[in-house]
Amino acid sequence: MTDIDSNVVEQTIRIAAKPETVWKYWTDPERMRDWWGAAELDPRPGGVCRIEREGGATMSGEYLELEPHDRLVFSFGWEPSDDAPAIAPGQSRVEVTLIEDAGDTILTVRHSGIPDAVAGIHAVGWSNHLPLLAAAVAKGA
Amino acid sequence: MDAALRAVADPTRRAILRLVRDGELAAGDIANHFPSMSRPAVSQHLRVLTDSGLVAVRPDGNRRMYRWRREGLRDAAAFLDEMWSDGLARLKAAAEREDRRKADNK
Repeated sequence: MTDIDSNVVEQTIRIAAKPETVWKYWTDPERMRDWWGAAELDPRPGGVCRIEREGGATMSGEYLELEPHDRLVFSFGWEPSDDAPAIAPGQSRVEVTLIEDAGDTILTVRHSGIPDAVAGIHAVGWSNHLPLLAAAVAKGA
Repeated sequence: MDAALRAVADPTRRAILRLVRDGELAAGDIANHFPSMSRPAVSQHLRVLTDSGLVAVRPDGNRRMYRWRREGLRDAAAFLDEMWSDGLARLKAAAEREDRRKADNK
């Protein structure tokens, strides 16, 4: 594993709904609003993916890859603001995979390339923080 | 925790963190490491670091002593973990509701 790969947040959950339903929650603004925030979504490669959480940070990204109902990838950053963590638009990447299992969906989110946390951890040499990140990944797996 | 991520994004602040990692330093000693920077600018960086929880400060006579808070960045790493787990829990509830509605209408 490279250093970048070790700085990943990954979570997997089972959803009692079909992948085609779950897919819409990542590509349809009405549904995106039900779980994340008011969204401007253009689900095609290079299309905008911008989500504004009420009272929170605004995620600014771009769809990179779409394989309907199976897998999608988008770039992930926050628009600079007082509330937003310092991950600039385009700096990190989120891969979502949907696998059908007995009518349910096994959904995995893999958020990689979390740049500033990585820079901070490496620059300061806090080796004791890497196991914490690994633990966060393991908890989601 | 947002503040911790923001705090470590700056190279000067990372340099300060390295200085106070192994022991406590007075504000003046820290400023001496950055001769090209004004005292108020260094103070501003120190304030961002203390506000973010990455660095702790205590008064010692008329000096202010700074040290690294080991637990500070844990919050930042946990932030994204929590963001996703909270979000996915809401997504799960909404998607399951939608499929149940469809099944009921059949």
